Amino acid sequence: PHSRLRHSGARTMVPLLPLLLLLLPAAHGAVEHVAYTPFLTKTPVLEGLTTGSTFVLEQPRCVFDKYSNVDIWLVVALEKTAATFNNSVAPGTAESAFQNFPNSVPAYMTLNATLANYPCPKPAGDITVLRVGSETSCTWDNARPTCNGPLPGPGPYLVKFLALKGSEPVAETDWSQPIMLRTAKSPNSISTTDGGHSAGMIALTTILSILFAILLAGLVAML
Amino acid sequence: MAKSEDCIHILQGLLVFGNVVIGMCGIALTAECIYFVSDPHGLYPLLEATENDDIYAAAWIGIFVGFALFALSILGIIGIIKSDRTLLLVYIILMLITFAFEMASCITAATHRDFLTPDLFLKQMLERYQKAEPANNNDKWMIEGVTKTWDKLMLQNHCCGVLGPSDWQEYTSAFRFTHNDADFPWPRKCCVMDAQGLPVNLDGCKLGVPGYYNSNGCYDAISGPVNTHAWGVAWFGFAILCWIFCVLLGTMFYWSGIEY
Repeated sequence: PHSRLRHSGARTMVPLLPLLLLLLPAAHGAVEHVAYTPFLTKTPVLEGLTTGSTFVLEQPRCVFDKYSNVDIWLVVALEKTAATFNNSVAPGTAESAFQNFPNSVPAYMTLNATLANYPCPKPAGDITVLRVGSETSCTWDNARPTCNGPLPGPGPYLVKFLALKGSEPVAETDWSQPIMLRTAKSPNSISTTDGGHSAGMIALTTILSILFAILLAGLVAML
Repeated sequence: MAKSEDCIHILQGLLVFGNVVIGMCGIALTAECIYFVSDPHGLYPLLEATENDDIYAAAWIGIFVGFALFALSILGIIGIIKSDRTLLLVYIILMLITFAFEMASCITAATHRDFLTPDLFLKQMLERYQKAEPANNNDKWMIEGVTKTWDKLMLQNHCCGVLGPSDWQEYTSAFRFTHNDADFPWPRKCCVMDAQGLPVNLDGCKLGVPGYYNSNGCYDAISGPVNTHAWGVAWFGFAILCWIFCVLLGTMFYWSGIEY
């Protein structure tokens, strides 16, 4: 089971330093790339790994260890809009609110945690999972933009982890492989007329009919 | 002639023995069918809701046929010992009528057993389990029957759905209409329960962690008793009918040999 912390999402103003901007040509070069791809939990085998509106990710243990004092957020996007996600979007705002996904924002940020939630190394035998989509109480609550609400469609979704120090992104993982959720069929598609008859039933009917016919013939013969 | 006297006595003896067996089998058939009709496994509401409960009709016919066989066997024994033509004629005709009824019962049980496939129960479970808005009184009563039976089945047999919990994920259902997918990937009764009837670990159950939810389907728990019921009625009835066939042929032969 995972733990989640509420992050108050305070935004600090970053003073604009044109000189620094010239010296550091790529502003988002400050975001380091961690070679880790989020993946769905492999052990133990979970029946509910993907359902109609949730999926289960493995926790990113021993991934962000070299960063201290970071908040690790999960970014969830649709496969087709993931490329338009900007790392400098702040969590807890309308630009990353679950309630606005996927209508007006390409991705949302949720499942805030610190390194204390993801101790390294992972104790053997522990189940370390993150269930994306488990919070149903805040699906429509605009006051909770970091809601871990049920996903609105079957996807496919891409996720990545983003580490923020204060409000600056410092590290990110790769985008995951596309995660497709389950779609449910209508029960009307189940055919119940295709029975066929078992061999036993055919044998039974045939033999009994023959026996009855013989008895009737015998009755007629004796009368 | 002594030889033909002996033959007649042997035939009489065999027919009396045949009738005694028929009488005992008649009682056994009645007892067996009463057992099935009493529904010890509580599966009748499921069959009722499929509107395909003819294996119960077959069992009811079996009860009355069993009694009839017992009564007729006594009539037969008396008729054979007294060598009375009228009694034996009545016996033969009534026995033929009973034969026809029992034949109907066996064929009904066997045929309707073939309808009870996993898909039938699956469709009914998805359409009726915990359905919130009954269309009419009949529907309401079927819904209650199906819901109670499934709850009891899943609790007692530690199973979930017909083929497994994935039934609830693969198909939409009346249950899904009122219970959202994130909180209820499958009904709570699929969770491993503690002594108080509460899930041991609700999160584990929702995730589908082995050990906290029931991963088997309930089809075996349903088809086992239903098969026993159907085959018990059909094949035991078939065996009795084969025996009756022999006894009736012998009686007809005996009857035609009696002098006026």
